[in-house]
Amino acid sequence: MRSDPLEASAWVAESKPQKRFSNLRSVRWRIDLRVLPSSSLATIDDLRRAAADARRRYVNLRRRLMIGHHAQKDGNASANRIIDNPLSQNPDSTWGRFFSYAELGKMVDQDLCRLYPENGDYFHSPNCQATLRKVLVLWCLQHPEYGYRQGMHELLAPLLYVLHVDLENLSRIKKLNEDCFNDEFNGISLPESDLLSNDRIRRVRNWDSGIEVESNLRKKVTDNTLDALDPDTKEMLSLSDSYGAEGELGAILSERFMEHDAYCMFDNLMDGAQGVVAIASFYSTVVGSNTTISPTIEASLALYHLLSIVDSSLHSHLLELGVEPQYFALRWLRVLFGREFCLNNLLIIWDELFSSSNDSCVENVDECRFYILCSARGAFIAAFAVSMLLYLRSSLLSAEITTSCLQRLLNFPAHPDMKKIIEKAKSLQVLALESTSTLSKTSPYLRPDNYWEEQWRVLNKDEELSRKNGISSASGSIKKILTGKLSLSRTKSEASANAHADAKFSVRRRLFDDMPKSTEDEKHQDISNSCEASTISSDTNSGMSSLAILADNCMAEETLSNGDSSLVLSISTNPHEMDNDHENESVKSSVTSNSFCGDNSEEAISTEEPCYPNSEDGQANNMEEPCSQNLNEQLTQGSEANSSGVIDASSEQIAAAKDRKPSPGKFKWLWSFGRGGHPEGNQESQHSSSPEHIEKDSSDMSTCDETSTYCGATKRPEARDKKVIDSLRNLGQSMLDNIQVIETVFQQDKGKLDSLDNLSSNIVKGQGRAIVALKELRKISNLLQEM
Amino acid sequence: MVLVLAIGDLHIPHRAADLPLKFKSMLVPGKIQHILCTGNLCIKEVHEYLKSLCPDLHITRGEYDEDARYPENKTLTIGQFKLGLCHGHQIVPWGDLDSLAMLQRQLDVDILVTGHTHQFKAYKHEGGVVINPGSATGAYSSITYDVNPSFVLMDIDGLRVVVYVYELIDGEVKVDKIDFKKTAATQSAH
Repeated sequence: MRSDPLEASAWVAESKPQKRFSNLRSVRWRIDLRVLPSSSLATIDDLRRAAADARRRYVNLRRRLMIGHHAQKDGNASANRIIDNPLSQNPDSTWGRFFSYAELGKMVDQDLCRLYPENGDYFHSPNCQATLRKVLVLWCLQHPEYGYRQGMHELLAPLLYVLHVDLENLSRIKKLNEDCFNDEFNGISLPESDLLSNDRIRRVRNWDSGIEVESNLRKKVTDNTLDALDPDTKEMLSLSDSYGAEGELGAILSERFMEHDAYCMFDNLMDGAQGVVAIASFYSTVVGSNTTISPTIEASLALYHLLSIVDSSLHSHLLELGVEPQYFALRWLRVLFGREFCLNNLLIIWDELFSSSNDSCVENVDECRFYILCSARGAFIAAFAVSMLLYLRSSLLSAEITTSCLQRLLNFPAHPDMKKIIEKAKSLQVLALESTSTLSKTSPYLRPDNYWEEQWRVLNKDEELSRKNGISSASGSIKKILTGKLSLSRTKSEASANAHADAKFSVRRRLFDDMPKSTEDEKHQDISNSCEASTISSDTNSGMSSLAILADNCMAEETLSNGDSSLVLSISTNPHEMDNDHENESVKSSVTSNSFCGDNSEEAISTEEPCYPNSEDGQANNMEEPCSQNLNEQLTQGSEANSSGVIDASSEQIAAAKDRKPSPGKFKWLWSFGRGGHPEGNQESQHSSSPEHIEKDSSDMSTCDETSTYCGATKRPEARDKKVIDSLRNLGQSMLDNIQVIETVFQQDKGKLDSLDNLSSNIVKGQGRAIVALKELRKISNLLQEM
Repeated sequence: MVLVLAIGDLHIPHRAADLPLKFKSMLVPGKIQHILCTGNLCIKEVHEYLKSLCPDLHITRGEYDEDARYPENKTLTIGQFKLGLCHGHQIVPWGDLDSLAMLQRQLDVDILVTGHTHQFKAYKHEGGVVINPGSATGAYSSITYDVNPSFVLMDIDGLRVVVYVYELIDGEVKVDKIDFKKTAATQSAH
């Protein structure tokens, strides 16, 4: 699709069932934006009435807001005068409004003069500029909470443009079919050449400037000429005539009321017309009612979420480079891609965008995590943005630094293949809508007291099974579960999982060997094993269990970066762990575990510590550092450099935490998990898993076999699947809780840092990272909660 | 919609310390396009202050002004109106309408702004308007001690001028409004 409007509209027309007025963009858009009734049963008269009503409302608004200060005749009311003089400080006075109007006008003018220079012949004409100015100023006066922001003019300009285009078409057709549009009296035209009639006309005109003549004429069209027209022209004719319902005010295509129509369209677009997506919300930084982040950020996150579902490698690459979505998404959203495409392409995009309804698709919008995805139109916006990102995929992936990435994003190619992008966007829109229905902001969170013990027992059982089956046996469930849970939203194929896994496995083992097993520090560094999840591959899950163990004592992170997957393992420095290394078939699993000195948590992979609050003894600070560190690694899927850095850091922290009681063994943390008394490090493992792995997560919480033996008691798990799903949900919730606790602890314990001198150095370093990592934690938990 | 401020006879620092606070709060920069000052400021600081309100400042010389370079009369055109400015101590008898009318004809203006009497006056006279904004600080004059602080704001819009008079009476700002319309056929050549 090149930037050829005719071809574009033809393509659009043939690709979907014909909608009414599909060749009259202004009417079509007005219907889509709910300015005109959208029911297919609406007759032309209904449309006319709606148009007239909208225009009347606008005129009243205009009259009210633009009231001239000269309008007052009651010059003797002194109270009135005190308020209404030019120097009055009262903002409600007419003069106050006059000055605010003048100020807004100045701001708007600044932007208008730079609008669409390439289409300047229309947009810089005085009429157009005056109309734009008036509409914008009136809208801003009507919505003082938003004020005027740059970008609003770019939203309004195409709306006015389509009105203008349709009117031009109308006048062109009128010229071609003059007969049909003439007002003829009883079928007799009044030819110029007829001297007699000329004379009569002239005389009439002299009397009253010809007004009487015209108003007496009745519109009459001869039948043959009307039938000779094609239906489109007939339609235009009916839309533009001044004699239907509401007379001239109802003429749907009317030049006189361009300003009114443009205002109505703009207002509905910005307010969302009782729908979900209100573009005006992207202009405000006011936090939404049920979120804690501004609408732009939320929409950007939705965008990235959708991208992560579709193409997680690109997503992770962008995250790794630190390309926050709102850097480019802000501009895309605020102007609805107006800056990225030329005007004709933009019109095509907006055709699609507006044809998606703005009604909410979910019953309870409050439960939706991403507000923007609650409606088809919002989903299309997000999907289109993702489609654009995918269009630039190769160049983005090859970008090494953030700025080059952003450069490519902010300079979208001038002549893209519109058809491809839009079709992809449509398919993504469906996907986005589906994903919305599965997202839930809050998950039921019930935590019985023995919850963790049960979890642990479940894991133990699985671990035992896997043991029995040998290393390479597939307690594929556990492993897959772990993989699923741990993976960072890897849904598509890492089909080369197994082969990959083996390679990694060996590498990992080597790395493990290299790892300093120096300290049996119970202070566990966080483990982030981030492996791309091999989707369904039934790999040995022994690795999963050992992974959990890895989260045990000090674990260093190991990041194996591949082309599109990086494996980050936290390597336990606990010698016991090493024994289990060979079981670490974590092909692609990401386990993030934070070790907390106060508690043990064996739920390395599964959940956050319920006993996390126990750790509020100042040690949490230390834990957070590694936590954050690891989380960072995990999420960004850093390169090996990261891993080495992490490893160093973890060793540091290992060394630092010498005051801890030596871990009695990896079982300790499992065993005393939930008891909260043991000074071993806690681990908090987090992982985000793709939804596809839910079913695999039955035996998710893999713990090491040793723990099971040590603890002895193993209860046979119930129906795993159900439990798993529930536990996963709880997982996410608990992670979130723990994050919050971390944060508060972090704040609180800043003062306590000094008391822990051996930790102070680390803390100083780690604080900054901790905060960042906590944010990552939050993200992970959100992803997890999707399940 | 041109706002023109007519102000004068402040006599700062000799007879008054400063403008009344209520007046000062009303006079904010950005709203007024021109200032016509009849004179007797008297010092440079007041000049600076008025200049900060609006860059287009016109002053005529009053007898106590310390800057001797101000002119005796000034005329300017704003929109459709010709305005004249003079302090008024030169016109004897002080405040006499007929004498002021003579000056108006002499300067050939539609609106004549003078001061010196420290009394607000606005006459419609012979197709023109004579305005005396009074003393903005309420400084005593040679004629009377009982002076209310006042100034005048003119809103010139096409052929119509609306005169807003701001007076500080008993500590409250009172606003009055007078409408003048210049007839299209008015010729000021007398």
